[in-house]
Amino acid sequence: MNAIAAVFYRDYRQRITNAAFLLWDLMIPLAYLLLFGLGFDRLLGGAIAVEGQQVGYTAFLLAGILAMVTFSVALNTSWSFFMDKDSGIFYELLTFPITRQQLLIGKIVFNVLVAVLGSALAIAVAVFAIGIEIRWELLPLTVLIIALTTGGWFFLFAIAGIRMTRMDSFNTLTSAAYILLMFLSTMFYPLDGLPSWFQTAAMFNPMTWQVDLLRFGLLGTGTPSMLIAEAIAFAVFSAVCLAFAVRALNRVA
Amino acid sequence: MNAIEVADVHKIYRSKAGAEAHALNGVSFKVPEGMIYGLLGPNGAGKSTLVRILSTITSPTSGHATILGCDVVRQALAARGKMVVVLQHTASENLLTVRDNLMIYAYLHGVGPAAARKRASALIEEFELGALLRTTVQELSEGTKRRIQVAKIFMLDSPLIILDEATTGMDPLMKRRVLDRLRAEAKKGRTILLTTQVLSEAEELCDEIMILNKGRTMASGTLQDLRALSTRMFRVSLTFADGATDLPRRLEALQPTELHVNGRSAEMVFQGEEASLLGRLADISRDAPIAQFEVRGPTLEEIFLSLMEKSR
Repeated sequence: MNAIAAVFYRDYRQRITNAAFLLWDLMIPLAYLLLFGLGFDRLLGGAIAVEGQQVGYTAFLLAGILAMVTFSVALNTSWSFFMDKDSGIFYELLTFPITRQQLLIGKIVFNVLVAVLGSALAIAVAVFAIGIEIRWELLPLTVLIIALTTGGWFFLFAIAGIRMTRMDSFNTLTSAAYILLMFLSTMFYPLDGLPSWFQTAAMFNPMTWQVDLLRFGLLGTGTPSMLIAEAIAFAVFSAVCLAFAVRALNRVA
Repeated sequence: MNAIEVADVHKIYRSKAGAEAHALNGVSFKVPEGMIYGLLGPNGAGKSTLVRILSTITSPTSGHATILGCDVVRQALAARGKMVVVLQHTASENLLTVRDNLMIYAYLHGVGPAAARKRASALIEEFELGALLRTTVQELSEGTKRRIQVAKIFMLDSPLIILDEATTGMDPLMKRRVLDRLRAEAKKGRTILLTTQVLSEAEELCDEIMILNKGRTMASGTLQDLRALSTRMFRVSLTFADGATDLPRRLEALQPTELHVNGRSAEMVFQGEEASLLGRLADISRDAPIAQFEVRGPTLEEIFLSLMEKSR
């Protein structure tokens, strides 16, 4: 069997043993969309301007919700390194005839499907239950962005998951990263009017790049030059994280 | 071709505080194909570090090692394709069933579903796993987990098997079955490298043995070679026809390094020339006739302890 397919199958078999956890990955974005999105939509009482376009807050938030799906799925996937370490299988996996890259990519493939499914649910609720209008012709691009960015986040968290020995330390680090990356980005609000230091920090935040790309895929917002720069930046970020994750696996002992 | 070649391998672990631990200090050896080679040594000798280097989990600080001609650093993937490894600690997919553990292990080694199913069926019978197939591994005892871990390696035909204290925690019957199976695999031409602290296991199974201590090779060779190194140690078993009242005192006068007297029988370990002892035993036998007499070379355990004693 192909190495990536074998790692994919292993991850699939493991994740379906915990249906509640899997359901959590799928449902949490819906809860955000329905509770947080609608609540703020009412509070703000109308449309907000994004790159010259007026959109409702729930529509604005939808890209952030999809980013949240990819981020959560990637984070949950990286927890599996601790499970593998607990069961002793982690080191045994390193003796198998698969490359470190194949191991990492195989681990995320099933979870990319989870992220795409979770995102599809969020989009379906947004469109059919809330009435948000999306750019259907850009949907394949949105799916591609979801898939690739889930990988990018996973490679980032994999570095910590592989290197760290304590799960509580890992949780502290990722919780801090979660808050910083989400709130210092365009996930919940446009950057216009925010302090310049905030805007500068957000511009260098991969979460901003991802959310802007997803927002383009859903609503068609954003300028082409900026979007291309952000796509390149996220690709470089993902490649660097993958390289560091492979390095961490090679230096694990 | 040699299945394993290790040349002047050093491994230094550095702590975050900068302290260095020399786990391996210039270890070299070769294992021809089809041989069962044992690595012996006390805790911290460097056995597991050597296994980790050979199985490509970690790299040597200097020196080099090859698996069937593939360098474990530069051609790590190719080297991994030629071996199966059982590491020291229990390793199993705890959330998955026994069947999944076997199948996924095979898939991860490139075996297709049909071939994996066929191989698993035979192993399930051999390792008495039939009743546990649908049980998740986390519900099983450590001994059973170890049995599954060892069973997994027979899902494949990789030319090299590396076992790091693989029989630890197994019940004696299963251990016997695994040792017999390993011997059979070696006869088929597979090479086996095993580390163990159960010296009788190595004595029974291994064609050649290397004794490691503090990251250095203390001795290596066949059991006969090692016996020759152990400073003319030999064991004498005696059974007297009649009990002599002062037997323990008279035997103690022979100055054995070990003496156990039980009724008319005595077991002694000596270091020195056998010939001089025989004359003195002949003197004793005039008063207390000897019914049975046996001289044996040292056991591996005695050789091991003698070498460890010398290295202190």
